[in-house]
Amino acid sequence: MPRRLKPRSNVIDLVLDFLARLLVQFQSPALAFLIGGMLLAAARSKLEIPDAIYKFCVFMLLMRIGLEGGLEIREAELVDMLLPAILAMVIGCGIVLLGRVVLAALPGVKVEDALATAGLFGAVSASTLAAAMVMLEEQEVFYEAWVPALYPFMDVPALIVAIVLANVYFAKKENGARTKVRIWPIVRDSLRGSALSALLLGLALGLFTHPQIVYEGFYDPLFRGLLSVLMLIMGMEAYTRLNELRKVAHWYAVYAAAAPLAHGLIAFGLGYVAHILTGFSPGGVVLLAVMAGSSSDISGPPTLRAGIPSANPSAYVGSSTSVGTPIAIAVGIPLYIALAQAVFGL
Amino acid sequence: MTHKATKIVIITEKLILEKVKRVIEAAGATGYTIVAAGGKGSRGVRASGRAAVVDAFTNVKVEVITANREAAVKIADEVAARFFGDYSGITYLENVEILRPDKF
Repeated sequence: MPRRLKPRSNVIDLVLDFLARLLVQFQSPALAFLIGGMLLAAARSKLEIPDAIYKFCVFMLLMRIGLEGGLEIREAELVDMLLPAILAMVIGCGIVLLGRVVLAALPGVKVEDALATAGLFGAVSASTLAAAMVMLEEQEVFYEAWVPALYPFMDVPALIVAIVLANVYFAKKENGARTKVRIWPIVRDSLRGSALSALLLGLALGLFTHPQIVYEGFYDPLFRGLLSVLMLIMGMEAYTRLNELRKVAHWYAVYAAAAPLAHGLIAFGLGYVAHILTGFSPGGVVLLAVMAGSSSDISGPPTLRAGIPSANPSAYVGSSTSVGTPIAIAVGIPLYIALAQAVFGL
Repeated sequence: MTHKATKIVIITEKLILEKVKRVIEAAGATGYTIVAAGGKGSRGVRASGRAAVVDAFTNVKVEVITANREAAVKIADEVAARFFGDYSGITYLENVEILRPDKF
């Protein structure tokens, strides 16, 4: 029966096509620099990138994302942004709740450590997001420029939920009255962090002023080059922090490897629904998946360390920086782009 | 002519620097010096200078000199009691000789 045969060959074509596209993604410079950084650290290279350069790279990346987003929001329909923004918040909170149920139940994992880890994986990594933007541009996949500006909608709620849940847990354990968590200081600390400050300033400048000249002449052209330096640093840091992960339960490594892809694929599914309902672009769906799959490296750790001081930073920073981020960048981004190309027929 | 005074040294995480400063000021010390620190301790190696992805986890060294020994002990005790359960850090006192005692 031809009706049965045809879909089957389609599926095979789809899988082959998907694998071929995946292979192309692996040759992207962003990934190459990340892996290069890991190799350098593994070889005990003496190459050091000064801290000031790292901070400057982060500033440049987020300022560029903010400016571009701000310029675009002027022309965008605010209604189009509503559903993806709500999805971002739901995903951020959902990841932490999922971690509370799954990771905290694993042997050798303390609840406060699990919550801090889940909070970090729910929060967003600016460098992972920037890498995804560059890879989408390389493949000429369109996305609305305001999508990266959804970052705080996922990031801040995830951190808040993690800290609130940890305090609820401590209150129950001690059978005492629940200590009230003050939400505002968490939001304030997140927004004051170097990454979100630069992003929000960029958004405001893009919205209310005319920064096109500096954007086109400075921030946009330098974006890719500085991202490669940042990827090198992330790779070196990932390898260096592997030692810390060895000190904690092995389940953290398992979670850190599986969670980014699970979160990304869930977000891809939700993004697909938004695509059908409101015409959210395929590139936007990919970026939403990337944000969900990424784990915060800049703003998340200090916020969590202050909010859940008894959680062990080796557990959550080790999981995120040494396993979560490399998986999110090297496997996650190519996977979602290839998936988008297959699903949306780009 | 020198005068006796006490120096408190606190090496801890940059993340809690603001809180440590408040403890120092509440005890009545009039000034302090902060430098970036790196080294090795019970919680592993902390680098200084190299790009640190998690900046707030790098270490700082805070030095406070006060003519009032009781204030010095109070600062050291309070910092250790409030922070060193959850955060890494060490603190110690030194006897020093100072010039210009009106500065302390």
